[in-house]
Amino acid sequence: MAERLATLVGIYALLGLGYQIVFGQLRALNLAQGALFGVGAYATALTGPQLGPFALLIAPLAAAAVAALAAPPMLRLQSHYFALATLALASLINLVAVNAENLTGGANGLVGFGLGLPKGPTLAALVWLVLVVAVIAYASVFRAAIGEKARLLRDAPLVAASLGVDGALWRFLAFVIGGACAGLAGGFSAALTGVVSPEATGFSIMLLCLTAVVVGGARHPLGAVLGAAVAVLLPELFRGLQGSWLLAYAAATLAVVLWAPEGLAGLFTRRDAMPIPLAAAPVSAARRLALDHVSKRFGGVEALRDVSFTVERGEIVGLIGPNGSGKTTLLNAISGLARADSGTIALDSLHLERLAAHAIARRGIGRTFQAPIEGETRGAGLARALATGAAFLLLDEPAAGMTDRERDLLAGQLRGLRRDRGIILVDHDVELLTRVCDRLVCLDGGKVIASGTPAEVRADPRVRASFLGLPA
Amino acid sequence: MLITFQLVLNGLALGMAYALVALGFVLALNASGAVNFAHGDLVVLGGAVAVLLASWLALPGFLLLPLVALALAGAGVLAAHVAILPLARRPPEATFVATIALAAIIEQTLTVTMGAAPRTAPPFLGSGAVTIAGEPLGLQPLAIVIVGAVLVAALWFLLERTQVGRRMRAVAADRHMARAVGIPVRRYVTLSLALSGALAGIAGFLLGHQFLVTPTQGAGHMLKAYIAVALGGWGSVPGALIGALAIGIFETFVSAEVGDAWASAALYIAVLLVLTLRPRGLFGEPLGQRA
Repeated sequence: MAERLATLVGIYALLGLGYQIVFGQLRALNLAQGALFGVGAYATALTGPQLGPFALLIAPLAAAAVAALAAPPMLRLQSHYFALATLALASLINLVAVNAENLTGGANGLVGFGLGLPKGPTLAALVWLVLVVAVIAYASVFRAAIGEKARLLRDAPLVAASLGVDGALWRFLAFVIGGACAGLAGGFSAALTGVVSPEATGFSIMLLCLTAVVVGGARHPLGAVLGAAVAVLLPELFRGLQGSWLLAYAAATLAVVLWAPEGLAGLFTRRDAMPIPLAAAPVSAARRLALDHVSKRFGGVEALRDVSFTVERGEIVGLIGPNGSGKTTLLNAISGLARADSGTIALDSLHLERLAAHAIARRGIGRTFQAPIEGETRGAGLARALATGAAFLLLDEPAAGMTDRERDLLAGQLRGLRRDRGIILVDHDVELLTRVCDRLVCLDGGKVIASGTPAEVRADPRVRASFLGLPA
Repeated sequence: MLITFQLVLNGLALGMAYALVALGFVLALNASGAVNFAHGDLVVLGGAVAVLLASWLALPGFLLLPLVALALAGAGVLAAHVAILPLARRPPEATFVATIALAAIIEQTLTVTMGAAPRTAPPFLGSGAVTIAGEPLGLQPLAIVIVGAVLVAALWFLLERTQVGRRMRAVAADRHMARAVGIPVRRYVTLSLALSGALAGIAGFLLGHQFLVTPTQGAGHMLKAYIAVALGGWGSVPGALIGALAIGIFETFVSAEVGDAWASAALYIAVLLVLTLRPRGLFGEPLGQRA
């Protein structure tokens, strides 16, 4: 009896651990995890008669295969469509389990598939061995750098892309590996009970998985284990309650969401600040960033018109212009967050226009954003961009909201960074730009209306009229 | 397939009942900016309340309807205060998980109190049929179509022609801007959830006569509304109406031809195909990015 409970805790913990990767780390609301558990259970039951205990290996493969086949169109979807698509996939799997009687035995399910695996202590030991290895692997993967990138992917996907994180690949891997964990858990469950019925693919398994992970702690390495222990052991303790334990468990889940978002595991761990490794020198060898006739339209608005200029390593180019003149759009076009409609953007001889944002970041272009991520200090964005080893930095209003003293400090930092980097600096503070920039480029209505030394640009009559608000 | 008036009427009635579910779903979605996963269970709760009231009061169905609507409006307000308003500043996934828990709470409460066996909700007018132009037509489907049409018209009037409706739309479009111009956003979220609950309750009452009331039906209702809203354009009220009508008619005709299982399978495959080809729904999103 105790072995059986321990085995069950291990099985649901494995299911939940897989879910932590996709839901906890990437905040993707995958509602097919329960159905993938069922896929694993059926795969084991169907291949058990031929393969014996090796049928357990088929379980994660089958679930991963279903996940990998379904993933490519689904992973492009935004959160609510992703949840719906995974729910539709789960419903489809459940329909097959109920109705494909020749394969799945219909509502009666499958029984009598001997795996030739001794149940009891052997199975319990096997499940827990796999679980311990998986928990250790999870904990070591999501410690430090990868965990920090996952956090950025959750909280600030654009920043993650600007640091070279390939979000699509991450989501694919998380979905498939998480699905494989679910499949293996399903296989173990088939081995434990000796019965597989459509219930294994039903929404109640999904609900159990989701609530266990939320209650235990969605990201903590022991979150799923704790949650599964509560989910399996509580109803045993309160057998007298019969059906009401589900009610109590659902209420507990709601309470955890409201008052302890990090789950049970979060109650007795404190959050350590993640050290961000700062590369001392740029890694990229690129010498020159050149824009040639870059144009971009949004509907009827010409956000950029034939913008051309170059930035060499060792110089700071200030980008000025009134609000809406295209400054941020230009930074987005260079860093790949917006596609230029025409023109070329080249790093030495490498064309960037067709590359994805993460690929551009990996070639040596780092950037910061106007709005800071909640809970971060002001310098964090710049530190992150530097940590990529970028040779070129695109800084979007780094001085916004700074005091004069902070601006002086920033100017000093920028001069230091210029030694071996090229910088494009967007800001409204023309005094600051004049002090630190080698050249200024002034945009108006998406066009370059002036460029040259700060003194030349500030003296330009059109710049004085359109941007500085001074008489020409 | 023999297309009879009765089949067309059944399709329209199912579509109209789904439309009430989907309209409630989209009202809550627009107000809170997040999916209310418990919406399907509010529908079941509406059916259960109707069963309960019918066993207490010897009232005809059309007099029970306002009572069911009122009770479920209360349930909607409760849902807003328990699982939606406290999570307004958290990522939309938090609301999603909280409402999934709320859905389980409602389902388990119903299982514990009324048992798992299906119950029959009272009919709106009667359970017989009337003969119109030589065609026998079921009274209940007829009542569903008429009640549904009246409620849809009333909702249109509220949203498009009254100050309250304008403010609800303002909150849906941009809650920060709405707050900046002096609209009490929390109050309008609560009001939207009350309306959403009332619509869900009425739908549950109307569906509960033909399709019975079982505690586990909630997820299915929620999924239909979710599909209708995703296909019709996330956040679009007319889109939800059209999407739900289409699903009801599709299900009725396809299951008359090839059975329920294939009808459901075809619906889910259609959803996956549509989302593959049009990642923002069949008609795009009227309100831009939201979750």
